[in-house]
Amino acid sequence: MSRQGRWVYALLAAALALALLAACAPPAAPAPAAGEAPAEQAAPPPSLEQQVLGVWITWGDNPAQLQSLFDRYGAANNVKVEVNSPVDDDKVIAGLSGSEPPDILVTGGPDSVGTWAREGLIIPLDDFLAGGEVDINDIFEAPLGQCKYQGKYYCLPWGTDTYALFWNKDLFEEAGLDPEQPPQTMEELAEYAKKLTKIDDNGNITQVGFIPDFSWSHLGLYTAMMGGYWYSEDGTRITFTSDPVVNALKWEQQFYCDYNTEDVLRFTSAFGGYMSPDNGFYAGKVAMMVEGEWQPGVNFIQKYKPELYYGVAPFPPPQANPERKNTNLVSGTVAMIPSGVKDKAAAWKLMAWMMSPEIVAEEMVANFNLPSSKKAAEDPRFHENDKFEVFLKLMSDPNAKAPILTPINAEVDTELGQIEEQVLHTCADPLPLLEAAQAKLQPMLEKALAE
Amino acid sequence: MAVRTGGGNVRRVWLRGPGWSRGERRRLLTGLLFISLWIIGFFAFTLYPMVASLYYSFTEYHIKRASEWIGLGNYVALFRDPLFWKSLSNTAYMVAIGVPLSLFVSFVCALLLNIKVRGQSIYRVVYFLPSIVPTVASTLLWLWILNPNSGLLNTLLGEIGIRGPNWTRDPAWSKPALILLGLWGVGNTIIIYLSGLQDVPVSLIEAAELDGANRWQRLWAITIPLVSPITLFNLIIGVIATFQYFAQAYVLSAGVSPVGSGLGAPLNSTLFYSVYLYQQGFVYLKMGYASAQAWILFIVIMICTVLLLRSSERWTYYEGG
Amino acid sequence: MAQIALPRAALWPRWSRWLRRAASNLIAHLAIMVIGLFFFVPFLWMLSTALKSDQDVFRVPPTWLPHDNLQVVVNGQWVPVYEVDLEGQTRQLALLSIAEGHGTFVDPANPAETIQVRMKFARPILVPGPRWQNFADAMNRATRPGLGVNFWTYIKNSLIIAVFAIIGTLISCAPAAYGFARVRWPGRDLVFLIVLSTMMLPFQVTMIPLYIVFTDKLRWGNTFLPLIVPTFFGNGFDIFLLRQFFRTVPEELCDAGRVDGASEFRIFWNIVLPLSVPVLATITVFTFLWAWNDFQGPLLYLTDPRRFTMALGLQDFQGQHAVAWNLLMAAAAVFTIPIVILFFFAQRTFIQGVKLTGLKG
Repeated sequence: MSRQGRWVYALLAAALALALLAACAPPAAPAPAAGEAPAEQAAPPPSLEQQVLGVWITWGDNPAQLQSLFDRYGAANNVKVEVNSPVDDDKVIAGLSGSEPPDILVTGGPDSVGTWAREGLIIPLDDFLAGGEVDINDIFEAPLGQCKYQGKYYCLPWGTDTYALFWNKDLFEEAGLDPEQPPQTMEELAEYAKKLTKIDDNGNITQVGFIPDFSWSHLGLYTAMMGGYWYSEDGTRITFTSDPVVNALKWEQQFYCDYNTEDVLRFTSAFGGYMSPDNGFYAGKVAMMVEGEWQPGVNFIQKYKPELYYGVAPFPPPQANPERKNTNLVSGTVAMIPSGVKDKAAAWKLMAWMMSPEIVAEEMVANFNLPSSKKAAEDPRFHENDKFEVFLKLMSDPNAKAPILTPINAEVDTELGQIEEQVLHTCADPLPLLEAAQAKLQPMLEKALAE
Repeated sequence: MAVRTGGGNVRRVWLRGPGWSRGERRRLLTGLLFISLWIIGFFAFTLYPMVASLYYSFTEYHIKRASEWIGLGNYVALFRDPLFWKSLSNTAYMVAIGVPLSLFVSFVCALLLNIKVRGQSIYRVVYFLPSIVPTVASTLLWLWILNPNSGLLNTLLGEIGIRGPNWTRDPAWSKPALILLGLWGVGNTIIIYLSGLQDVPVSLIEAAELDGANRWQRLWAITIPLVSPITLFNLIIGVIATFQYFAQAYVLSAGVSPVGSGLGAPLNSTLFYSVYLYQQGFVYLKMGYASAQAWILFIVIMICTVLLLRSSERWTYYEGG
Repeated sequence: MAQIALPRAALWPRWSRWLRRAASNLIAHLAIMVIGLFFFVPFLWMLSTALKSDQDVFRVPPTWLPHDNLQVVVNGQWVPVYEVDLEGQTRQLALLSIAEGHGTFVDPANPAETIQVRMKFARPILVPGPRWQNFADAMNRATRPGLGVNFWTYIKNSLIIAVFAIIGTLISCAPAAYGFARVRWPGRDLVFLIVLSTMMLPFQVTMIPLYIVFTDKLRWGNTFLPLIVPTFFGNGFDIFLLRQFFRTVPEELCDAGRVDGASEFRIFWNIVLPLSVPVLATITVFTFLWAWNDFQGPLLYLTDPRRFTMALGLQDFQGQHAVAWNLLMAAAAVFTIPIVILFFFAQRTFIQGVKLTGLKG
């Protein structure tokens, strides 16, 4: 045998031995997590008869904390709960339609609930709710409304989110604005943004006042501020071409198109990761942003950029409509049970535990989210941080609005996202795009509602 | 017994039908036994799925519910779908520009590597190494290099006074960025061309030199025609592979759009055919629609391959005829 | 050729021809070097980024040398040193903690006295130095703490799939290639044409039904089976490669075996296979490369992070918004290095294999 051949055989044999060893060995014990809180303290040693429940959470603010929370359930009920967080959207769909779905799926928003309910990928929870383990009257109406599809509840809210305006006090001061006074109207916001945008001698942007779609689209909030939404109240019509939608897009457009859009895009593309010290707002590259209630919390600004000097206030209304003050779009995390789950009763038991006021309070305090349970909202810990108070007040304001659920939310969101991208990045006129999209989506909606 | 060759005699054996001699029958069994695993695989993993996907393409397929037959509905919807045409044009761009460009670059590099310079073997290793870097790693590396503000490429361009474009966020530059990434990995094609160049008989070159042909004429009249079979082979392989372009585009989109899978970002400029297919089938779960897309892709590839082979008769030169 | 007119170059004086040749040689040398840089520099950049600290990664303009925070020991702990503007002076102070935009600093010479300064007036001091820690961080970083998953898991999974794929490919393709190369059976060439044509079939055509069969009907979702099992049933590419090679084995050797009364299988096993070690090595290397690199397959079938392969894991790492480029490049380097090492061990095998694929049918 040639020398080369011997080499290859030796390598092959070694690799084969290694692989067999690895494949046949019991699953590796959790590797020592460098720097993260050790999650194994409360977890019982897995025994052969112990049931394993899988919980998938699409967002990943603090996976270690989530695991330790669920370990409490595991310890009390002699099961092992495995938390998979964060999970990519693609994997979620693969998981739902595959042979090993998670026992509970928790997503950051209710957008796809309608589609998944229609496709039979998740189960209605009404029968379980009749059992009484979860007090449905304890849940705030706005978040609960997100989960109703064709008269049945396909999910339950677990924490609520809303958004407000953040501003960098240092940058305000530098620009000659009062650092304690945020803009009071949308027009004022645009003015301040101009003052806060800096362009150097070569024409490069070095600081931006406001980016309307940072870190993701907030078109819903802007549309609500303009007095409407892109569905009719009953969810049967697409209202893309209504004034609120058009005006919202036009208002957004100025932040790109009043400057050189290419320059703005170039500037924003260099921003670091969302959860990193180089986040555009944290690094002082964007002076104002619209973001959620988790930002002032332990997993975000406090962790990545504690030296940031910033303020939080409700997003301002348009000058002509002061009655819309404190309008905000309340959405949030929802939990559901995939239809492929084998032991649905066990999954429901876990979900009921998740929905109990004590656990809701515990989790929302730890993660800096708004509580979806009324009893949990009474917990005094929610009032310790004054920036968080802003969000609490917004949530219970009469102008708080819930999004509307339809069976084609996912398709509509994609369509709107593309329109928004075109309007902002190429300064296109929104109305023709909206008309075309509405013509395409309205029949789709009618067909889906008829099914 | 007389040794039979394959080829022509096969015809006669077939026509004679069941009247095979015992020797032939035994050889048939032996042959089939040797390829038995492949035959099972062919029926299970090639033929059955092909037929099944053709069937699905005529239905509205649901994974957990009953499917319904809609005849040509998917195909009609596809032809009316502007994103279908966009994905096709994006892919055609890569095929028409990316494949010839990478072949050209490989050929030039092979020519250069054929020149006797000091450290030639080191250069060959350096040129080849990027082609074995795993796709996901090289895409991420180039995503970082192409960062408009803090990336290496724009910094270098800035030093010579050029304002580098917004490679990954500008729809006009995202495909060229991907082509650049592809050019980094042409190492294996270079090696193939290199071995082809080394096969060119030195005697031919010397004869031409004696006749007074200069370098360009030698290149054009001898070298290029003699490696044309390699060019044809690589063209076909390249075209087939580029029509299925997926991983790099997927990783790039995930890196460009901040949250969720914004496949095709920016502005659908990287929405290639296979990416759109994946999105329709596995993100929106419209598997019937995606199956129709798959079959159209198959037909398009077939047509391109046949066209290439037909045209090749005019520009390919095989030794001995 | 004889009709070519004497090119002008032949009429020029000899020294001018020498000059032109030297010039074109120089240009060629330069071209080779410059293009070589194009292929080589990205590797360097990957390593340079992998060694940078978090703040250094996004520095504009970017630097080649990685920088890290200057640190001192205060009260037994390493803390970073900042340049602070205080009362008209610039002092070097150590940072203990930060809250609400204000930092708590101490003078290292006088650790008892703390000074509160708004972070706006403080800048970190960076010194050149590689952060090797990044590699350890990227590898051990518990990407899913609840599941105990990190990069070692991904490497292990990639290896398992690669090894089984190699075994499956060798077992199924070698006999099949022999069947097409040396056994004379009716219909052989026709069937071989079918084998070749399967190489042209785009993956997408069979992708969806295979997915439905594997996940829905067989319930093999989230296992390695959909990725490994098909390799045990042959693939056109490797069969083609092996067949080409087997055909170069001299016919007389096989005939000698047949005359001795050996069965085809024995001829295959005892005569042809031992002679084919180089091409078998090539197939091994290629299959390993394919399995290590494969992205779309694992993307479709592997949903639990404990089963992710390196390709999937690396992309997943990028998708999580908590990642910085330095860790990502460190992970990418770890992904790439085994392949580079393999290449240097089996260089000739690699090159031979690539050349073989270019052989005309």
